[in-house]
Amino acid sequence: MSTLLPPPSEIARMPADWVEERSGLLSIGKYMLFRNVPKDISWLQTLGSALMTVFILQATTGVLLAMYYQPDPNTAWNTIAFITNDATLGWLVRGMHKWGSSIMVVLLFLHMGRTFLFGAYKYPREMTWITGAIIFILVMAMSFTGYLLVFDERAYWATVVGVNINGTAPILGPALSYILMVGPEISTHTLSRFYALHMLALPGAIGGLIALHLWLVIRLGVTSPPWSRMKVTEGDV
Amino acid sequence: MPRLTARERRDRYQREYAFQKRHGKSFFPHAVFHDTIVSLIVVGIIMGMSILWWAQFEPVPLEPGVERAGGILGPAYEGRADPGVEAYDPKPEWYFFFLFELLRIFKTPELLIVGSVIIPTVWMVLLIGWPFIDRNPDRRLSRRPVALAVGVCVPIVLLTLTFYGSKAPGAGGAASQAPGAAAFAGGACSTCHAFADAGSAGNVGPSLTDNAVDYDLAYDLIANGKGGMPAFSGTYSEDEMKCLAGYVATHSGAPAGEKGPEAATAAEVYPAACETAGGLFAGGGAAATGD
Repeated sequence: MSTLLPPPSEIARMPADWVEERSGLLSIGKYMLFRNVPKDISWLQTLGSALMTVFILQATTGVLLAMYYQPDPNTAWNTIAFITNDATLGWLVRGMHKWGSSIMVVLLFLHMGRTFLFGAYKYPREMTWITGAIIFILVMAMSFTGYLLVFDERAYWATVVGVNINGTAPILGPALSYILMVGPEISTHTLSRFYALHMLALPGAIGGLIALHLWLVIRLGVTSPPWSRMKVTEGDV
Repeated sequence: MPRLTARERRDRYQREYAFQKRHGKSFFPHAVFHDTIVSLIVVGIIMGMSILWWAQFEPVPLEPGVERAGGILGPAYEGRADPGVEAYDPKPEWYFFFLFELLRIFKTPELLIVGSVIIPTVWMVLLIGWPFIDRNPDRRLSRRPVALAVGVCVPIVLLTLTFYGSKAPGAGGAASQAPGAAAFAGGACSTCHAFADAGSAGNVGPSLTDNAVDYDLAYDLIANGKGGMPAFSGTYSEDEMKCLAGYVATHSGAPAGEKGPEAATAAEVYPAACETAGGLFAGGGAAATGD
């Protein structure tokens, strides 16, 4: 009787082969991991991946916070106090979300500064810069909408002033303020609107743009620094 | 070197990059190793800040709704938001300080739009469109004088604005004994408006020390708001608004303790409305110190 089973090494590979045959995901993963990058890339070029780490951290801590937070003017502040004072390690989750947002903005500036100094927005990477710039603006919108949610005095007044400043814009300004606040002043609806933007619309948009940004980085490759000595010489091509 | 066409320049870059890539190293594990180290440091910093923040918290206050104070990284949270009652200095998060400072520079009503809309819009268009503005193909900074100048000036301007924004003054205490002064200083008004008579140094809205406002305009602005100013008709009663408008009309455009040029326009309602409104509105400076 011949053996019914293939050798163990082949059995171990079967799940992976099954996935690969149906989706091609393994080849995509291999392509992403084992592509070549210029050998003189610098430590300054790690900031983008650090930003993605912070984004994942913000998303994770954000989900945990959303399990306790209630976007209602009567209870929002109490749930924040509960998370900070009573929930197990709630202070750590809220603290990391709070300080993570500041660090994210700092890293965004540094990442953008690095790209600028390297001239990495030039051909063929113009679209990578544009997606990054839009992500930057959306992250600022993220922090503005997140600021109100704590619903303490600082949060409230900063948002009143922010939204009203918005209202000084001609034509669309007052309408935009009205839409943001859902009426002439901050109310229950304002808070749930900011919450929906902060935890659904904006992170969704940012996540999608990060995917596009990342795809462009992988497709076009990482630049080598402008001081690179790796120059193509005649006869080398 | 002969001048290349745009197409030739692009081809040349692609050739050069293909060469660098061919003689490069694998993303995994080389770049991934560096990325992991930096990511771990960043997460470490975030955790460190959270722990430092938490370690300096004061005990939870027994009264409900009040601030739980902290140390150098600020309180755990401030008191529950209470619209219109507390004087409050509405500082944004630090990364909006530069915008906040722009608004303080362009604070007159005619210029407000420059700081609030025009500059930020121009800034966003420049940011997104930068690859199309900078057409210089060279990547070395020594060959990019314009980009280098922009790259040096923009951070300096942003850091300067952020620095001054962080130093922006908040609300002050009441100086005047006039009816309504304490309510002005203790309420939301002083948050934004400088007003010598009320001892307030807010700097977001127009200064009432410098600008005389007549009674009808003051009442309309308080009740309905305008531009960056919120409407207070939901917060204050009719008499309270009359009192505040009367107080502003009487003392605006003048140094502390003196009547301004529009004082006569308020004569009918002020200070009578303050008596009717009662509380903080009726009293002078004494009520403010007791607050």
